[in-house]
Amino acid sequence: MANPSSDIKEVLSQRIKEAEEVCVADSSSRECAVAWDEVEELSAEIAHKRVKQEDKKDPLEEFCKDAPEADECRVYED
Amino acid sequence: MANIKLTFPSSPSSSTSMQTLLPLRAGFYGAPLLSSSPSSGHLLVPGHSSGKRYKLFVCTASSTEQPVIIGLAADSGCGKSTFMRRLTSVFGGAATPPKGGNPDSNTLISDTTTVICLDDYHSLDRNGRKRENVTALDPRANNFDLMCEQVKAIKEGRPIEKPIYNHVTGLLDPPETILPPKIFVIEGLHPMFDARVRELLDFSIYLDISDEVKFAWKIQRDMAERGHSLESIKASIAARKPDFDAYIDPQKQHADVVIQVLPTRLIPDDNEGKILRVRMIMKEGIPNFKPVYLFDEGSTISWIPCGRKLTCSYPGIQFSYGPDVYYDNEVSVLEMDGQFDKLDELIYVESHLSNLSTKFYGEITQQMLKHADFPGSNNGTGFFQTVVGLKIRDVYEALRAEEAATPLKSAKA
Repeated sequence: MANPSSDIKEVLSQRIKEAEEVCVADSSSRECAVAWDEVEELSAEIAHKRVKQEDKKDPLEEFCKDAPEADECRVYED
Repeated sequence: MANIKLTFPSSPSSSTSMQTLLPLRAGFYGAPLLSSSPSSGHLLVPGHSSGKRYKLFVCTASSTEQPVIIGLAADSGCGKSTFMRRLTSVFGGAATPPKGGNPDSNTLISDTTTVICLDDYHSLDRNGRKRENVTALDPRANNFDLMCEQVKAIKEGRPIEKPIYNHVTGLLDPPETILPPKIFVIEGLHPMFDARVRELLDFSIYLDISDEVKFAWKIQRDMAERGHSLESIKASIAARKPDFDAYIDPQKQHADVVIQVLPTRLIPDDNEGKILRVRMIMKEGIPNFKPVYLFDEGSTISWIPCGRKLTCSYPGIQFSYGPDVYYDNEVSVLEMDGQFDKLDELIYVESHLSNLSTKFYGEITQQMLKHADFPGSNNGTGFFQTVVGLKIRDVYEALRAEEAATPLKSAKA
């Protein structure tokens, strides 16, 4: 079964190469802008997923990061 | 003027029908209204009595108990952006993707706030954009009629079936149901592009990152990825710049607050972008919004808090404040250059600023500490984002108070 995260990284790699090729001819063409825009979209998504993964260490920790006042996140000192 | 709403029984309502996905120029009028907006009092009439196709989709909201609509323009993609997390935190609770729905949904929902990503209104998916040769920044890749219709629906307290743009596949996925929340945030590239959508916003923010800082941030973000290099990152920013300047940047003039992020002036050649100079450009004369000021409102101030009472580590902190004109608008600008290193610095600065909209002493410091691990927690980006969260709270409470004072406005004729 394909690993979705390595899929998107593969796609990013390819698109970067394609963008570099397209832009060699004319770096101010629309085709060039569209190619790099796609690279930007993929890069942003990969970074977004990476942040999500890092956060996912402990679901409770992740939840408590954003809602430290929640009941589940209370910390007691004895 | 009485608030009249007429719905034609044979037309599908925008809340349940899949037809919301069709381009509206195909002849679908959404929820046709004969309505007047309480603020402007003008009457809008769909023009189909003459048999002509109604070309201009008019879109203004009219009802009470309106969700507060916030627009946030940013080029950093959507999702759990730091700004959003700080904002939802001001209102309490964690914002999470809709439970049990599409795992690639871009939407975030907390108890009070729902944040949607405007990429969901792409009319062209990734293949479509390649075919038509347009970037995502280009208005031609976005369905503003649908954006307008759905934001209006939320404003009127009606649920919507909103498309999902899947950033992984680059395709448009089946829609998800969004219920009207107390605070509805539309985040993305074009929240203020369309004049009709602008009319629906109760408050708007533009996050303006300078080229040097953008470059530094993207290096941090992308360098670890195979395939990327300094050159590819530079090329990507440069190639997108013409469309960005043409379509995204002009929205700045419409924002109530612009948060401008620049490289520091405190250190010569700081090209790692770690120390930042952040300017909060606040429009004057916006209802329910009181710009923050330093010491004496309307005057020009330059302030270095570090000295005898406060010890700061290098490079310290510098503030400035003053009136200005920004794209023909009267504004007040509060600027912070440098970095917070200790709790003392944060609370010291907070206690010397005015019109912060805090409800208790140290509220901003508390909010910043709550999220000490978020990016920007030690500089103006985090500080001003938190302040904007409190300003949105002001707008929300003021609108609720207005509604409470005029309950009879929605009486039907």
